[in-house]
Amino acid sequence: MPEPIVEAVDVAKVYQLGKTEVQALRHVDLVVERGEFLSIAGPSGSGKTTLLNLIGGVDVPTAGTVRVDGEDTSRLTERALTRLRLDHIGFIFQTFNLVAVLTVFQNVEFPLLLQGRMTSAERRRRVETLLESVGLAGHARHRPSELSGGQRQRVAVARALVGNPPLVLADEPTANLDSKTGGTIIDLMREMNRRDGTTFIFSTHDPKVMSHASAIVRLEDGRVIGRESAQGAEAR
Amino acid sequence: MSGSSSSRVHQGRILVEIAMRNLVASRVRTTVVGGIVALGVVVVVLGSSLLDSIDAGMTRSIQGSLGGHIQLYNAASRDPLALYGGTMGESVLEPISDFARLKGAVLTVPGVRLVVPMGIDQAMVSMGNVFDVALERLRADVRRRMANGPPAEDPEYEAHKAHLRRMATLLQQELRQAREIADETSGVYKDRKADFDALARAVEGGFWEHFDEDPLASLEFLENRVAPLSMDGGFTFIRYVGTDPEAFQKAFPGAQVVEGAPIPPGQRGVLLGKLYAEEWLKLRAARRLDKIREARDLHGRRIAKDEELQRWVKENTGQTRDILLQLDPVRTREAVRRLQAALGTKESDPARLVSALLDTDDRNFDARYRIFYAELAPLLQLYSVKVGDFITIKAPSRSGYVSSVNVPVYGFVEFRGLERSALAGMMSVLDIHTWRDLYGYLTPERAAEIARLKERAGATMVAREEAEAALFGGGDAPPAPSSAPQVIDENRLLAAGGGKGAREDLFLRRYGQAETDAGVALNAAVILEDPRRIEETMPLLVEAAAKAGVRVKAVTWLEASGIVGQSMKLLRMVLYLAVLIIFAVALVIINNAMVMATLQRVKEIGTMRAIGAQRRFVLSLVLVEVVTTGLVFGGLGAAAGIAIVRVIGWTGGIAATNDTMYFLFSGPALIPRLGAASLATSVAIVFLVSILSALYPALLAMRVTPLEAMQSDDG
Repeated sequence: MPEPIVEAVDVAKVYQLGKTEVQALRHVDLVVERGEFLSIAGPSGSGKTTLLNLIGGVDVPTAGTVRVDGEDTSRLTERALTRLRLDHIGFIFQTFNLVAVLTVFQNVEFPLLLQGRMTSAERRRRVETLLESVGLAGHARHRPSELSGGQRQRVAVARALVGNPPLVLADEPTANLDSKTGGTIIDLMREMNRRDGTTFIFSTHDPKVMSHASAIVRLEDGRVIGRESAQGAEAR
Repeated sequence: MSGSSSSRVHQGRILVEIAMRNLVASRVRTTVVGGIVALGVVVVVLGSSLLDSIDAGMTRSIQGSLGGHIQLYNAASRDPLALYGGTMGESVLEPISDFARLKGAVLTVPGVRLVVPMGIDQAMVSMGNVFDVALERLRADVRRRMANGPPAEDPEYEAHKAHLRRMATLLQQELRQAREIADETSGVYKDRKADFDALARAVEGGFWEHFDEDPLASLEFLENRVAPLSMDGGFTFIRYVGTDPEAFQKAFPGAQVVEGAPIPPGQRGVLLGKLYAEEWLKLRAARRLDKIREARDLHGRRIAKDEELQRWVKENTGQTRDILLQLDPVRTREAVRRLQAALGTKESDPARLVSALLDTDDRNFDARYRIFYAELAPLLQLYSVKVGDFITIKAPSRSGYVSSVNVPVYGFVEFRGLERSALAGMMSVLDIHTWRDLYGYLTPERAAEIARLKERAGATMVAREEAEAALFGGGDAPPAPSSAPQVIDENRLLAAGGGKGAREDLFLRRYGQAETDAGVALNAAVILEDPRRIEETMPLLVEAAAKAGVRVKAVTWLEASGIVGQSMKLLRMVLYLAVLIIFAVALVIINNAMVMATLQRVKEIGTMRAIGAQRRFVLSLVLVEVVTTGLVFGGLGAAAGIAIVRVIGWTGGIAATNDTMYFLFSGPALIPRLGAASLATSVAIVFLVSILSALYPALLAMRVTPLEAMQSDDG
């Protein structure tokens, strides 16, 4: 059995907010297998974003360990952690976070440029393929400001997938979209998950969105209160 | 990793692309930042081209006029050498007692082309007045009549007498006005009563009717009692360099004789500074006309709107005496005729005619100026000293006595590029023998040598006779007959002592090079074959002189030029300060703008970091943005600077609108020259300033964590 893509063991995260300590996560254990389409659910402030940040290597836990694709994030240098994010993780943000001054094509190409592994022609092919699969082949030369919210998020999906990462994290990817558009984004992500076997972990508090997930992890007050698979609840 | 290097390039390209697009996206910020950078570069390019040209021009002017490349002077001197005078007046230098020895030593140093002895000082010059000139003419007439017997008709003699009587009348009118104002009970008034009486006598018909009975006594009365009442003439100050005129001419091509001829090799004589002559020796009315014209042409000033110009016009119309005194009856008639024709008037009073001529306004000025110089000036002596005249220079010598020497004026000298500099253009050139007489530093050996020389020189005198006569007695100077110098000489010789014969010998004597060199000098100008070798040659010169037993200090021409050289340094400092301020402001503004830009882009930078951009990438992003702005706008600024420099060049340069500018520009206009150095400097400065101003925003940008990308409306 292959090693899980994400393995969090007894993870805690404490934030210093002025003089008070905020316990964002406590004693969290989580295993995500490759190819899962996992939803992290919970109310606001339950620790969804914090958990995604720790998994995504943009933050490190105060206690416990997080392993992503076999790497213990708290043992990596800043440079290596950045490299881990670049090569192993794709990000989709709630607010799309495209580089405003770059075209759609350039936004998608950006991670490939940072990786520096492909030739210009290879990059072009890859970006064009991705744009086609998110249905934006005709918009390569547009700027983000010329696109609708849904289109922007598709660009973000393409950007997250362009480097062919084993893991994609999406923090509330549909929160800034109307429910119909949000639905198509989730459908798109699900399609990619099925087609390429890419693992998706996304946070949401929208039950409709959750319903697409292969499994749902519920958080409350920084703790995992349950995990259910799409086939039925599976407490942990 | 075949794509690695290609991706590096593309990564660089995306950096530039993001930077450029950011710049375009925030146009206002880019324009402000870029505008300041461009302005800074324009100032650097323009300022340094101007300064470089000024520098080159002044270097040429000073080196070619008085400075040479290196100046040597006695190491025991307390003051530093200041060729153009220091802030505290003339510097006091210990003399170099034997210039010949120094010259011999210096010429052994390789690369030395010429060594010129110098002694700079200032002294008083007595100019005489118009009465003296008229009296000299009359005295010559009297002598001629006594020698040859009075001819039956002597119109020249009668005209000269009438002229003097007319001068006395004018003087009386002038003094009468003063007398009306004066308080008749004051002591001064009583003292002057005798003067008024003497003047009254000189105006009376009786005095002139009896003039011929005892012409010498009558002349003496006019000379002693009347001429001194005329206040003009008197003393002026003259600044001169005593030198070997022949060597001076070779060493300083910038010193040009603009009128007359160079001092003949080995002979005594003076070349008066042209500016000095303009300022102090020119007929005041003519000088004022020149000044009005200059004010109008160079400064765009108008008589109607300018109080100073109005005052000059008023002075010109009110003070016609200078002109009238110069005109004897024959010339007065001629002047009246010419002015009547030129002005189209029937007025016959010469004073009113001259006054009318000089009553200029903006409309008639050019015409009047032309009439003055074309019609009236040929009848006048425009300068109180002319080529061939003798002047008397009086200076306190080192022994404490006042030395007084007569010296023939060979011509007028102008220092190219420094023509209008009050500091440098006033300089006159004097032969070193006369200078040594004035300086009064005569060793016993030297005195004995002079005695021997006098004997030898007597033999060559006849041979030189004709050349002298041609120079001093030339027929194109009608107001002064050929014997005039000797006559003036006689009048002035009392202070100097010695008979007339001995003095004449002095001016005809021709000194050999050895005699010119053997003697005292205050400093020596050294001209090198290669002006770039100044610094390394200086110690060699000092060493060579020391070996010969002469302890000298060596200074560069720039140090020796004192205030003049410092003005260059000052200008450079002002430019550097201006550049510093501009770029300090630029630095602050660029820094602020980039900090703001970074803060606005925190989320974007965080996103890039989250996606996998290293800190280095973010740092490069900010640097590329700022440096690109700097270089693009710096380039535009440089192009604008170059264009401005070119345009200034095409349009004939920047005109000097005052004497200070004329001096700085070393001429009437400054044509700035582009220097590769100034362009390189501006590029370097822009680069440095860009990087410095980007450092802090770049640091801020690097501190942005990927977490910033995750900030959303809910946690």
